[in-house]
Formats: sequence, C-alpha cells, structure tokens
Amino acid sequence: MTNSTHINDVRKIIASGGSMTRFRSFLKQLMRNWKGRTGALILLSLVLLAIFGYLFAPYNPVSSNAPSFQPPTHSHLLGTDYIGEDIFSWFLVGAGTSLLVGASIAVIAITIGVAVGVIAGYFGGYIDNGLMRVVDVLLVIPGFPLLVILSAFLPPTLETTIIVLGILSWPFISRVIRSQTLTLRRRPYIMASELSGLSGLRIIVRDIIPNLIPLIFINAIFLAIGGVVAQAGLAFFGLGDLRSVNWGTMLYWFQAEDGIVYNAWWWLIPPGIGIILLGVGANFLSNAVYEITQPARGSK
Amino acid sequence: MITLRYLLRRIFYMAITLFAAITLNFLLPRLVPGNPALLILLTKYRGIINPSQLKLIESELNLRGTMWQQYVGYLSSLVHGNLGVSYYYYPQTVSSIILEHLPWTLFLLGTATLVSVIIGVFIGSYSGWKRGLSDTVLQGFSVSLTAVPYFWLGLIFQLAFAVIITINGYHIFPVAHAYGISVTPGPNLPFFLSVMRHAALPLITLIITTFPGFALLMRNTVITVLDEDYVLLARAKGLQLNTIRKNYVNKNAILPVATSVALAFAGIVGGAFLVEEVFSYPGIGFTLYNAVTTSDYPLIEGIFLIITFTIVIANFLVDILYAYLDPRVILK
Repeated sequence: MTNSTHINDVRKIIASGGSMTRFRSFLKQLMRNWKGRTGALILLSLVLLAIFGYLFAPYNPVSSNAPSFQPPTHSHLLGTDYIGEDIFSWFLVGAGTSLLVGASIAVIAITIGVAVGVIAGYFGGYIDNGLMRVVDVLLVIPGFPLLVILSAFLPPTLETTIIVLGILSWPFISRVIRSQTLTLRRRPYIMASELSGLSGLRIIVRDIIPNLIPLIFINAIFLAIGGVVAQAGLAFFGLGDLRSVNWGTMLYWFQAEDGIVYNAWWWLIPPGIGIILLGVGANFLSNAVYEITQPARGSK
Repeated sequence: MITLRYLLRRIFYMAITLFAAITLNFLLPRLVPGNPALLILLTKYRGIINPSQLKLIESELNLRGTMWQQYVGYLSSLVHGNLGVSYYYYPQTVSSIILEHLPWTLFLLGTATLVSVIIGVFIGSYSGWKRGLSDTVLQGFSVSLTAVPYFWLGLIFQLAFAVIITINGYHIFPVAHAYGISVTPGPNLPFFLSVMRHAALPLITLIITTFPGFALLMRNTVITVLDEDYVLLARAKGLQLNTIRKNYVNKNAILPVATSVALAFAGIVGGAFLVEEVFSYPGIGFTLYNAVTTSDYPLIEGIFLIITFTIVIANFLVDILYAYLDPRVILK
C-alpha cells in the first residue's frame, strides 16, 4: 500500500499538474496565438447567437405576417419568404437549432470515437484489430448515400438525424484517438501506473483521457460543424424534419419554393454565411492548435 | 509489390463491406411499418384491392415467405442483376431507371474530378515549388472554401449567372436540366453545345469546391519530395531546375495525389448529388432526390447499392494500382 502511494506520487510529479491545469494552459496558449483568438472570437459569437439569438427575433418565424417574397425593409431586416415569414427571425431561431444539432452530433460521435479509440489503442492485440477493421469498413462505405438511405427509412425527426449523423461520424476520430493513445501508453508515468497495479480502466479514465482533452476538444468543434453542414445537406435533400426551423431547412424551402425564380437572394445568403463563418472560425482555431502542438513545423 | 496474403485479406474485407451494405439494404425496408405492395396498389391503381393482384406484387417485391426465404430470394435476385421494381415508376425496373440516369452523373463526376486533379496538380506544384505569396493565397483560398457547402455555392452561381446577370437580355447559363428542349439528343452539334452550356454551372460548382484539396495535397508532397536526397543530388550535379521539377519532383509527388482521388471520390459523389438537385440535372443524385420525395424505397435502395459497390471496388483497384505503379510500396 505504501509502496503504491509512493509510485502514485512519482507519477503525479512526472505528469506535472492535474488534467484541468494542463487544459487551462493549453487554452492560455491558444489565446496567445492570434489565429486562436480570431477563431475563438468567431465561434463564441456564433454560439452566443445560437443561445440568445431567439430572444431578439422580431417575429415568430413560422407565422406569416407580411407579403411574400419581400426584399429587406425596415420592418423585415432580411425580407420575407414564400408565405411572408420573417427571414431574420428564421435565421436567429435557426442558428439555435442548427448549432444544437451540431453539438449533439459531436457529443455522440466523440463518446463513441474516444471509447473505441482509447480501448483499441490501450489494449491492442485482437481488440485493436477487431475494432479497427470495423472502422475500415465504415470508412469505405460512401457517407452521403448511406445517410440518405438511413434517413429515408427512419422516422423523419430531428432526433433521427442527430442519432444517424452521430453514429456515422465517429470512425475517423477513433483512429486519431487510437494513434495518440498508442504513444501515450509508452510514457513513463503510464508505465508507472501500470506497475503500481492500477486497473486498465482506471488508467484510461485517470491518465489517458485527461491527456487527450486538447485533441478531443478540437475534434469536437470540427465534428459539430461537420454535423451542421451534414444536417443542412440532408434537409436540402428533403430528409429529416422539414418543419423544424434551422439553416438547413431554410435552404430546402428556398429551393422547393422557387426562391431562385423570385430572385430572393435575401433568403439564400444568410444561412450560407452562417455555415461559412462556422467553418472559418474552426479553421483558424485548428491552425492555432497545429502551431502550438507542432511549433517547429507550424512556424515554417 | 503485393503479396497474395494481402490480396486475399483485402478481398475478404471488401466482401464483408459489400455484404454489410446488402444486408442493411434488405433489413431497412422490412423494419418500416406498412405493406409496400398495398402502398403500390393504393397509389397506382386507386381502387378495389384484388387479392390475387396483391399477391402478384408481393412476390414481385420479394415480400412473401419467412424472413430467411425472403433474404435468400433477395440475394439470388441480386446475383441476377435484379434490383427490384420502382414504386413510383411501377412497373419500370430499378436497374433500367439507374442505367438511364447514370451516364449524366458519370459525365459530371468524371469531368469535375479530372479537371480538379489537373488544376490541383498544377497549382499545388507551383505553390510548393515557389512558396511565398502564391502559397499564402492558395492556403487562404482553400481554407475558406472548405467551409462552403457545395449546394449553397451552386445556388449562388445559379442565382447569379442564370437569373440576375443578363447580357443583351439573355442569361449566361440555363437555370436547370441537362439540355434544352429545342435540341434532339444524338450526335449533333446543337445537342453537344446545349449539353455543355447546361453542364457548365454544375461543373464549375464541383470543380471550385474540389480542386483546393488536391492542390494542398500536391503542395505538401512537393515540399516533402524537395527534401529528398535524390533532389539534392540532382541539384548538385547541376541539372536544370526545370528538369528537376518535371522529372524528379512532380513525378514523385503525383502518386499520393493519384491515390487520394479514389478516397476523395466518395466525398465528391455526395457533393455531386446535391449539385444535381440544385440544377435539376437528370443524373443519379437528382433521381435519388425524387425517389426520396416520392418514397420510392426500391429505387433509393438500388441507387445506394450501385454507388456503394462502385466506390468500394474502385478503392480496392486503386490500392492495387498504386502498389503496381510505385515499386517502393509493399502491401503485405
């Protein structure tokens, strides 16, 4: 008992600080980098828009109270759609739904992906082989047709879309997590934990996953944005809950109700800009992370 | 070099993947409540349901017998190339509908991929070789483009070049479809020109969103290759820069780009489907979209199966081809 606590102390010294401290210092480094600041600023504003935006919606997005296909005016900042619904309100309320869908997809995909990746990387052998073959099979099947066929047969709700996209998005991240786990496994403090007789599960939860948090964090952002874009694509294809107010269904109704014929650019541009800003923010952030984690190559 | 062991293992996993796709295809419609045969009778014939007719349609759709019998029946009809009958276009078969629309998709995908690879290789090679400003521009451009949804860009182009901008009262490009109503399909010039004009916007949309990926990959491999000893040797023995670039750098840098084409293809297919929907382009993607809106399940399934088979087999062939083209690659 005394012996194992001693090794635990050594382990703590080598690991230098708790996982939260390490994550905080990672965030600090991120904020010191201008790309990191820009990315965080863009994403944070969009998240705030998603959470509080609906409070500023001037109208109920699904009630028609104006002539249809009206260009932007003072009372309707972004004009109206085919049945006179206010597009600015659609955009604000839709931001919330779209980002919530993206975040939920990221949570599902991260949970499965991290579990599979860590287990495969830590235990190795047959477990690793088996899991990675499943990942290979899933990565080869073309994503969009698979999404379409699943969404077409399952009930058309937002929940279905979230579950299907979440379950199909994890294979790639599980590979990234697995390879990182493989290198972590060989670190001295993990070996020390193993020698001290800690169970595999405990080492995974207490030593490996905390060290993966920066990696998980950046991948979660990308999964969430991928989720927003994928949901928009599915909605545009007429799949999922088309009555839901989000950026994807905005584009679907634009197409289905001949927004093109009415030259309704005010209806088409807002959701696209929203999605593009998400992507730009994430790219800034990932470039910053790349520069922090690989200083030698990043500065080239 | 490829070992027999590797080849057999790859074929084994490919078979498992295809088998999984087929089984998913079989199970999904049987999980959905309701009798599809009844649905056809109700939507198509709208009248008194004749039991013998119902039985006929049920056996045509392979819905009779136990699950296991249905599964065996499904597999054997697949082996015979029978993908079932469309609900919406009943009694037209799924394979005939797919065959009718596939050429348009292959034309779009093939042209877009080919042009994207060529543009990507040129720009990537230049940018990796020169670095500096062109490098920054390329990276900024591709980073901002990765965030743009294909179909949204398609809609923007459609709005701009087929609706808003006019020259002498004419639009630059048509809004939709694959060729005009005034031309007769066949090997004649008006038809060819009409096809080109109609394909322009979908192609531009696909190419603009596809080539930056190839350009970035080419740039990165060029930079890696420039560090190789044989490039240093070539420089040391005083070869002309152009010779080094063409014969030493580009030739070696193109290989990874070539393999990435197969992997990128799966992604481009999804983009092409959405772009086809935007422009009502009569390919497989637009057909799939119509099948979704009309709940034509056999057609949805048939398209899924054909696309999956094509991509899985293409991936396999490219892996083999890669090992054959590059003697350094050993697959075992």
